[in-house]
Amino acid sequence: MNDTNESRQGKDPVRSDDELANLRMLLLSPEQEEIARLRQRLDDPRIRADELSRVLAEAIVIRASTDKKLAQALLPTIEETIKDSVKKDPKFLADAIFPVIGPAMRKAIAESIRSMFQSMNETLSYAFSWKGLKWRLESIQTGKPFAEIVLMHTLIYSVEQVFLVHRETGLVLQHVATTSAGIKDVDMVSGMLTAIQDFVHDSFGASENQILQSLHVGEYSIWVEQGPQVALAAVIQGNPPEELRGKLEDAVEKIEFQQSRVLQEFKGDVTPFATSRYHLESCLVQAKLGMKATGAARQSAAAATQPARTHSKPGLLWLIIGAGLVCLVILILGIIFSLTGR
Amino acid sequence: MTDPIKKKICMLGAFAVGKTSLIKRYVEDLFSEKYHTTIGVKVDKKTVKVDDRTVDLILWDLAGKNGISEMRTTYLRGAAGYLLVVDKTRVNTLDVAMEMHKMAQDMLGKVPCILILNKWDLEGKWDIDEAAIGDLRNSGWYTIKTSAKTGMSVDQAFETLARKLIE
Repeated sequence: MNDTNESRQGKDPVRSDDELANLRMLLLSPEQEEIARLRQRLDDPRIRADELSRVLAEAIVIRASTDKKLAQALLPTIEETIKDSVKKDPKFLADAIFPVIGPAMRKAIAESIRSMFQSMNETLSYAFSWKGLKWRLESIQTGKPFAEIVLMHTLIYSVEQVFLVHRETGLVLQHVATTSAGIKDVDMVSGMLTAIQDFVHDSFGASENQILQSLHVGEYSIWVEQGPQVALAAVIQGNPPEELRGKLEDAVEKIEFQQSRVLQEFKGDVTPFATSRYHLESCLVQAKLGMKATGAARQSAAAATQPARTHSKPGLLWLIIGAGLVCLVILILGIIFSLTGR
Repeated sequence: MTDPIKKKICMLGAFAVGKTSLIKRYVEDLFSEKYHTTIGVKVDKKTVKVDDRTVDLILWDLAGKNGISEMRTTYLRGAAGYLLVVDKTRVNTLDVAMEMHKMAQDMLGKVPCILILNKWDLEGKWDIDEAAIGDLRNSGWYTIKTSAKTGMSVDQAFETLARKLIE
């Protein structure tokens, strides 16, 4: 028996391999075809791409909600893409960003112009008065531009209270005040202020982006600066410079940035906002008659006069006075000559 | 002591259901009622203690309107919950309340709300009957019977709402 087996194997090794292959084919033919098909799918990039495309969107959503690795992984690629896009056609990206930049630019320009006009107005109203003459003298003596002297003598204001308000609910997140200001219940006042803003917005057909920026009553103004989630309302007595608005905007931006997560999750607990009090307190500025604005406002007052420098009215008054003096001199000379000539 | 939790709530209802009289003695108020006719809302405050926490309910009392078309829905923005007030002696105020409820839900989602059946101390021709109230309760409404005159259950209404809000 052994002999026959061995001899059989020894005689036809090739044949037994063939037999094995045939056996495999008979038993496993359907599976082999399946495997061949699968292999084709794996190797063909088009088919792989097609399949991946079907699940790609969902996969991204799932991954993005799990962790931040996807954003990190894509970051270098996106940066390159943006660079290339700008290189290819800068207009494309510029157009895309414009809706964001446009309003921001307009706002900045409008405020800048308002500042210029304010100092111009002040300057003009004093140009032809006795006080104006006195101040011109002062301007010559000190070397400061006339507009700056005017502003210094007329600007009296005091920020008495600042509210930090959650826009959607009208709830007060923080409130600071100079101790002399009377504080009625801040929550109710803020609620009513929010209601008034909603009312004005609804009634006067303002567009989504336009908001009530200031209210005036007697010698009080309330200036409101808004960010996406919070609003800052400053109660000001007197005549504040436009630069103050920049200060309020600055405070809003800082608070929005630092508290962005807390704001999104806000459900009535205001304790996390105590750290923003510093920004609110920096807005409690004052300027007294004859002195530069105190504290942090000093820089902004100096900055305020920069645009005025280029726009102060030329010495029209001096021209008239000069002409008058020349006429007077000619008259006197004329009289002297006529006296001596006689 | 931690700061109180602040919540904005609204009070809605048809004209003359007695919203303002209901709360007058129970809230801190600073502003006169003339704001109802001018801007359509008046803000009051009610401080409530729930267990060991203090909740400041900033209450936006919306001027009563007889239809949702007249409502200023902007005032509902950001509210954490609301009170719907009906006049027990006028059954049509219940319909108005339900319309307002639907509008508020569309805007705010499913937030806590309480149905207040006011003027419970009075009898009238167009009373809302107990069966209707039973139906409301069965369909999930939390209802409270109140009276401005007797002061019945007003504080309870606020406490219940505050509790639901911080759960």
